Amino acid sequence: MNGLPTWLTNKKASDDIAPLLQNDSSVSLESLAAEARAITLSRFGRTMSLYAPLYLSNFCSSGCAYCGYASDRATRRRRLEFEEVRRELEGMKKMGIHDVLLLTGERTSAAGFDYLRRCVEIAAEIMAKVSIEAFPMHVNEYRILAESGCTGITIYQETYNAEQYRRLHRWGPKQNFLERLELPERALQAGIKTVGIGALLGLSEPVEEALKVLRHVRHLSRTYWRAGLSVSFPRIRPQTGGFQPDFTVSDHFLARMIFAFRIGLPDVELVLSTRESPAFRDGMAGLAVTRMSIASKTTVGGYLEPDGNEKGQFEVNDDRDTKTFCKALEAKNIEPVFKNWEPVYNGPSTGQEQT
Amino acid sequence: MDSLQIGTYTFSSRLILGTGKFGNIASMVDAVRASGTQLVTVALRRYNREQAEHDLFTTLADLEGITLMPNTSGASNAKEAVRAAHISRELSGSPFIKVEIHPNPQHLMPDPIETYEACRILAGEGFLVMPYIPADPVLAKRLEDAGCASVMPLGSAIGSGQGLATAEMIRLIIRESTIPVIVDAGLRSPSEACAAMEMGCAAVLVNSAIAVAQSPPEMAAAFAEAVQAGYRAKAAGIMPKSGSAIATSPLTSFLDRTS
Repeated sequence: MNGLPTWLTNKKASDDIAPLLQNDSSVSLESLAAEARAITLSRFGRTMSLYAPLYLSNFCSSGCAYCGYASDRATRRRRLEFEEVRRELEGMKKMGIHDVLLLTGERTSAAGFDYLRRCVEIAAEIMAKVSIEAFPMHVNEYRILAESGCTGITIYQETYNAEQYRRLHRWGPKQNFLERLELPERALQAGIKTVGIGALLGLSEPVEEALKVLRHVRHLSRTYWRAGLSVSFPRIRPQTGGFQPDFTVSDHFLARMIFAFRIGLPDVELVLSTRESPAFRDGMAGLAVTRMSIASKTTVGGYLEPDGNEKGQFEVNDDRDTKTFCKALEAKNIEPVFKNWEPVYNGPSTGQEQT
Repeated sequence: MDSLQIGTYTFSSRLILGTGKFGNIASMVDAVRASGTQLVTVALRRYNREQAEHDLFTTLADLEGITLMPNTSGASNAKEAVRAAHISRELSGSPFIKVEIHPNPQHLMPDPIETYEACRILAGEGFLVMPYIPADPVLAKRLEDAGCASVMPLGSAIGSGQGLATAEMIRLIIRESTIPVIVDAGLRSPSEACAAMEMGCAAVLVNSAIAVAQSPPEMAAAFAEAVQAGYRAKAAGIMPKSGSAIATSPLTSFLDRTS
């Protein structure tokens, strides 16, 4: 594909980590784990920062083949009304959540920018920290969200393989691979303080994918020196639509990838969600991962009155409640950190604007 | 050991503890106790009104004999740090504020420009301002002129355990300073804390090295002893290192001919 940015194609930028990702690598998984653990311990200490997602709406206009909320799924569509948003957030707060990730589908008339902005404002009144994972926006829209109390965005490229990307995004505004690549930069230019990126593992050849994510982080870190950066490692989970990924990502490979990222990005936040099993999450805690979601619902709302029949965006794999999950962390001598932010630090990052 | 004087406050311990990064709050409290510290820093962002069991701020405020030095970790510019200082003072009642402004949340290096601006404002408002700074002798003097109660240059990056990588700059800061110089960040072992005190630091601030030790209270006690040993050694007068070998033709023989 023409017009790919050089940071994406420049393999030298990930040369140091490439050998660690090979399954036949001479570096054993055990030694990678030991090195990752030492780095994590000294830089991040014995703590785990916690957040929970809140799905605001599952209206969507995109045709992502791998998503349970794609516009051709027979899923019941709904959005939370503002009063519901407030009640859900207050319910989450009672569970101990102070750090929320608000999610929507692709931009629709039911859940567009004004809707999202209002939800961010409500969340900022209740939570210490508010991030979003939503549809692509213009710089001025990201700016307004930053001013409304949104400090972070999560935006996965899904796959960094342009061919696979085109094939899997069957219709809708998300079809433009290059435009999606630019989104983290747009948000940072607008003053959003932290950006989380990642690839949906399984959509493309995993080693190539991992190296491209790594190059993306390094590119962002060089270009936007104030940017807070995090990397997530979402693996495809069963979802409505029954999509089967082309590539299998084993527990061993995922662990190897996360350790390699800790070594290659020693001070970047690494995130593991409830897509992963309790055993995998407990095992990874303290080794490389520094941020985890907790007690997550992937249905619209669902923290107050879980609807047993409603299907989420994907099936969560770790459905432990906050208390049980914290006990597991505490057993490993890791302090669960629910609140690690103060609204006084909200507001757009200064000096980030590019002319 | 002479006491450490900051503003009108007097501390017999010269070890200041950071309170993040511990595996649990109980071990943090044990470490604080075992260290004999009287001054601890705590991040405003760890203030958790709703969950007492996870709230560092109130836990520490309730400890007898401990003065809180809230910090502005999380602030990326002067404006945010000043706002955080105001809230911290309200919550803690302490006049101390550790100004910590790191616009890059990865390497956490302090921003000298924003730090200077925040310190100038807060010192003017009567805070006892303790800025976390790069080991820059000029910046240290500028902050002293701006009314800071101390300067806290980094030994090396936060959580890096690289020790006194900036030793030569810290020596210059100490030589020129009329306010206490406190090494903050990067210390890995008690011997490095001892070395910082032997250089003439007024105190050291330690967090990661104690928090991630196998036994935080034991490590805290070890740091306390090292700090005391270093301070006593400095006060006792450390034997100079022997200089170069004596030249075969004396360098000062010309003096015999000048009189």
